[in-house]
Amino acid sequence: MLIFEPHIHMYSRITDDYERMSLAGVRAVLEPAFWLGQPRTQIGSFVDYFDTLIGWERFRAQQFGIHHFCTMGLNPREANDDRVNRDVLSILPRYCEKDSCVGIGEIGLDDQTAKEEQFMAEQIQLAIRHGLPVLVHTPHRDKKKGFERCIAIVRESGLPMQRVLLDHGNEETIKITRDLGCWSGFSIYPNTKMDPARMVAIVQEYGVERMVVNSAADWGVSDPMMVPRTAVKLEQAGVPRARIEQLVWKNPIAFFAQSGRLQEATLLQPARANLRDTFDGNSVLRGQDPDKM
Amino acid sequence: MTRTDPLAILSAPPMSIPDLRALLGGAATTADAMLAEAKSDRSRLPVLFPSLPRRCGRDMVRGGRKKFGPATVDLDAFRQCDLVAAFLLLSLGTTEVEAMDLYAHGDIEERAMLLRALHFLPVGPLTVRLFGEVQRTNVVLHLEAALCDGDLFSRTVGQPGFDLGAANRLLLKFAFLDVPLRRCYDAERHANAELSRMLQDLATEREAAGRAVWRDTWRVIGRAPCPGTLARLVGGLEHGDDGVRLAAAEGLLAADRKDLAAFARERLPREPRETIQAVLRRLA
Repeated sequence: MLIFEPHIHMYSRITDDYERMSLAGVRAVLEPAFWLGQPRTQIGSFVDYFDTLIGWERFRAQQFGIHHFCTMGLNPREANDDRVNRDVLSILPRYCEKDSCVGIGEIGLDDQTAKEEQFMAEQIQLAIRHGLPVLVHTPHRDKKKGFERCIAIVRESGLPMQRVLLDHGNEETIKITRDLGCWSGFSIYPNTKMDPARMVAIVQEYGVERMVVNSAADWGVSDPMMVPRTAVKLEQAGVPRARIEQLVWKNPIAFFAQSGRLQEATLLQPARANLRDTFDGNSVLRGQDPDKM
Repeated sequence: MTRTDPLAILSAPPMSIPDLRALLGGAATTADAMLAEAKSDRSRLPVLFPSLPRRCGRDMVRGGRKKFGPATVDLDAFRQCDLVAAFLLLSLGTTEVEAMDLYAHGDIEERAMLLRALHFLPVGPLTVRLFGEVQRTNVVLHLEAALCDGDLFSRTVGQPGFDLGAANRLLLKFAFLDVPLRRCYDAERHANAELSRMLQDLATEREAAGRAVWRDTWRVIGRAPCPGTLARLVGGLEHGDDGVRLAAAEGLLAADRKDLAAFARERLPREPRETIQAVLRRLA
């Protein structure tokens, strides 16, 4: 079964992860722009990071046959940082037009401050101008209220709900989002957020319409294999294969295809994986013979 | 962003803007709209540029090998978006700083598009700087975009910052990445003994590692022999690979050494390939 991993920060993962994911059927990944674990103090750090998302990281994924897409945006944590927030908004338009950029994100709320709300609203307008869907990070603390506030901001913006993916959901938030017309994302973690067993229960109760699952793996305790693991758990629980395929492949494609820059037919073939190529003179081989990889 | 360094410093573009626009076909209307937008707000150029393939198309222009002023290009190798990129950059009088910004923050496809556009821009400092970028990296797509299917390389040799030494290093990269020399028009004209030495050293390294040697090695070194060249050429006639034998025979022909004709005569009756036999007959 092919898998589209719709939220993973490969920037912070190693090539072993790419290889394991590829072997488990992950054919495409979506890497949302996010924060780096510590604050960036200047706009140049964002420029280099965004260039990495459209350049080196995309190239690295291709070496393992994986198509790499991204969403661009100012994350809610750094929306609070006046050293960079306004400048990031000013450089985003050129990155919104990059071919592998299929959405704006992850934007949204974290501490639920006024600045987070302001920059979330501004970036939704950016999405409207560039014809892109929006990936919304919802708070990990005071989540229910944060979800409701995110929904209110989207409603005020005029962006159609079907172009919004509210991520990091759980058993509580699905009750709020299921009838809104927006998409619901569930981040499956080893210990926190959601886990595969809880996800099975949600699918059994609510189905898979407008739902996606992701690992949200980053540099923290997380597991890039969580989508394949969840798919296996769903199958073992008796969920029909077609519905699992819809959840882990068709749905994320349908959501991000709203950008007009992603087609399922392209993804049916592995990404070009010429191990002799380098990017800016750099390769993943570290001196190994490409013919023996 | 400063606009004090226009591209058109050292030479005129190969073709006029109206002539270039005439090649855009169905993409001309979109190109006009994008140009108007960028003219009214210069800061829109970096936003418009990444969308060129989507908005103007990735279809090949078609039209075969054509000569435009001093330039020769094979239009079959250029896409609509490549030509629209050239049209925009030329029409806007894009500065080197602006073009380098597009390159630095472009993805792999955008960079290839910019390198393709170079074939239609005046040869100058931007060409030399971007050749430097191609030299620094090993992205085959970019090497092909800048050097292949046209004579841009040949037209750039001798520009400030791109002397024969720099040209040799770039051709060596061609060999390193195993791209056929025929795709870089007129490149063989710049053969020289130092390049032959570099190519022969690379060939020796490859042979020691049990790897294939760039076939055009024999063709280039025959034009500008250095110590060891003649032995390589003669030895190439006995190689098991048809392509190598053909290249060696052509190299010998270019070397124009009557005293080596005996080797061709001796090989001829044993040579199974007709195309190679034809070259050997000219040698013999």
